[in-house]
Amino acid sequence: MTGQIGGAATATAVATDGAVDAALSALAIDSTSDCLSLAVMKDGVPAASQYEDIGRRTTQEILPRIDALLKGAGLDARALDLLLVARGPGSFTGTRIGLAVAITFAQLTGRPLIGVDSLHLLAAQTDPAERRRFVVLLNCARDEVYHAAFRWRDGRLAMEGRIALSSLANLLPELGQTPVVLRRFNPGLATTAETEAAFARLTILPLRHAHPDAVRLLALGVPQYLEAPQRTWPRVTPIYLKSEAFRKWRPAP
Amino acid sequence: MRQQPSATGSSVVGSRRPLGLAIDTTFDDTSVALVRGRRELLANVTLSQYADHAEFGGVVPERASRKHLEVIHPLIDAALAQAAEAGAQVTLDDLDYVAVSNLPGLLGSILVGMTVAKSLAYLLDIPLIGINHIEAHPYANFLVHGDPAFPLVHLVAAGGHTVLIHQTEHFRWRIVGRSVDDAAGECVDKVAKMFGHPMPGGPVVDRMAMAHASGAYDFPRPMLNGPDLDFSFSGLKTAMLYFLRDHGLPTPGEAAGDRISTPIEEGPVLAAFFASVTDVLVGKTLRAARRYGVRAVTVSGGLAASRKLRQCFEAACAQAGLRLYYPPPELCTDNAAMVGCLAAYRYEAGRFDDLSLEGYPNLPM
Repeated sequence: MTGQIGGAATATAVATDGAVDAALSALAIDSTSDCLSLAVMKDGVPAASQYEDIGRRTTQEILPRIDALLKGAGLDARALDLLLVARGPGSFTGTRIGLAVAITFAQLTGRPLIGVDSLHLLAAQTDPAERRRFVVLLNCARDEVYHAAFRWRDGRLAMEGRIALSSLANLLPELGQTPVVLRRFNPGLATTAETEAAFARLTILPLRHAHPDAVRLLALGVPQYLEAPQRTWPRVTPIYLKSEAFRKWRPAP
Repeated sequence: MRQQPSATGSSVVGSRRPLGLAIDTTFDDTSVALVRGRRELLANVTLSQYADHAEFGGVVPERASRKHLEVIHPLIDAALAQAAEAGAQVTLDDLDYVAVSNLPGLLGSILVGMTVAKSLAYLLDIPLIGINHIEAHPYANFLVHGDPAFPLVHLVAAGGHTVLIHQTEHFRWRIVGRSVDDAAGECVDKVAKMFGHPMPGGPVVDRMAMAHASGAYDFPRPMLNGPDLDFSFSGLKTAMLYFLRDHGLPTPGEAAGDRISTPIEEGPVLAAFFASVTDVLVGKTLRAARRYGVRAVTVSGGLAASRKLRQCFEAACAQAGLRLYYPPPELCTDNAAMVGCLAAYRYEAGRFDDLSLEGYPNLPM
C-alpha cells in the first residue's frame, strides 16, 4: 500500500549557510538512513556536525555521539532552545530511533521540537539559484521511490504537491525533462538496465553533500521556528507512507 | 489501557528510597511503571495492542514498533499522573534510575523503549539499567509477596516463552528447562484460534477449563515423562488439529461444511486440552523443584493468570509440601512493574549499563 503526505502550504525559508540572526542553541538529528547525521547550533551558528555510516548501530551510537557533540560545543542538553528531527521517509527503524530521542528531549526540556521530511532536506541541498521546478527522488525498496516536486522562490523552498510513493517504472515517464535530485540510500535497490538507462537520460541536479547532513535540518527548521517562536508545535510523527503490512508478514511467535 | 496503581508495601533502603522508571516494549504491550524502593508501585500503565493486530491473526512486528513510538511518551505522562492521583507528586527530575527491558522480544519494539530510556538516563544523568524481560517475570511475585527466600524454581509461562528457572540469589539464575518449540501460551492461543476465538485465547480456554470436566477426552502430555525439564507443545497443537479433522470440523484454511461433522462440545474438548497443558507445566515444575531441592516455586507470565492453572499448582504444591507464589492477574501479563522491581535490586547492587546498551531478540542459551 502506498500513500501520500501533504506538503507545506507555504514556502520554507532556508538559512543557506545554516546561520541565523538569533542567539539560539539547537540540536538536529537525522537517523533516517544508515548514515547518522547530527548537528548543533550555538549562538545562531552551526557549531558542530558529524555524519557517519553506522549501519544498524544507530541505537548504540546515537546518544554517546550527541553527548560528544554537545560537550565539544560547550552546550548543555537540558539548556537547548530548540530540537529538530528528520521524520522520514526512510529507514523505518532509523526514523523511529531519531524520533524517540528527539521527542524524549522535547518532553523533558519542554522545548519545541520541529520535524522536517527527508525530501525537504534533500531539496535544500540544491542551489537556491535553480529556477526550474525539480523533483526529489529517494529510493524506498526495490522498484519504489518516494518523490516530491520543489521550486526555489526568492531563497525560499516550496514543495509543490505532496510526498508520494510510486513505482519507478510509473514515475520515470512522467518526469520528462524535469530536473531531479536522486538519492539511493539503500544499496540493495535493484533496478533494471532500462531503468538505469532512463536515469542516465535524466537531468540530475548536484547535491552539496554526498550524505545526509543535519546542518540542512538547522537551515530548514530554525527559520521555521523564528517565524513563530511562540507557536505550539504539533507533535512530530514519523512519515512512513507505506503500510506496516507491505509484505506478507509472518505473525511473530 | 490497563492501570494498576496498587501500592503494595514498601522497603526502606537508606534514608531515601530510590525512585525508578521502568519501561517494557518487548512485544505488543507498551508499559511504563514508577517504583519507589523495591516494591512501592506508584504507577503501572500498560497499553495493549491486541486490537491493532486482530486483522492479521498475530502480532505484526512493524505495526507493534510503530504503535510503541506513538504511545510511549503519553504513557510516561500517564504514569506520572497516576502516581500523582495516588498521592505521590513526582516528576522525571526525581528519578534515580531508568530501567528498560532490552531482551528478548521483537527487536524493533525493544529499540523504541530502549531509546527512550537511554534518552531519559542521559538527560537526567542517572543510571540506565537493561533488564532481561524473562528474568523480570518472577519479580512480579517479589513485588507483591516481599523479599524471596532463595533458592527458588520459577515457571515463566509468557506468550513467547515457557521456561523453568533455578535461582539461587538475585542475578544468579539459570534456565534449566525451556520449550523446544511452541511456548505453552502460544499453543493455547493457536488452539483457541482453531475453535474460532480471537487472540488472546488464554482467557476463553481458562473459562472452559473451569466450567467443564476434563475427562471426556485424552490428549497427549508432550515430554511429561521425559528425563529432562524441557517442554514441547507443538505436538499437542497438532493433535488438536487432527482431532478437529477427525471429527469432520474445519481446520484453519478450510471452509465449514467441507466434511460431514461429528457434533462435539467445545467446552469439554478445550477443558481436556488445557488439562494436558497444565499437567505438563505442573509436572515439570515440581520435577525441577525436587531436582534442585527448593522449598518454594513461583509461577508468572500471562498463563499464570489462569485460574485453572493456579488450582492445579495449588493442589500439587500442597501435596508436595512446596510453597507457591503467583502474582495478581494484572502482573502476570507483560508489565513494567516487574521490570522496575528487578531494577530496584540492580540499582541497590550498583549493576548499571551504559548508553551503548544493545537490544536482543533472543533469550541467551
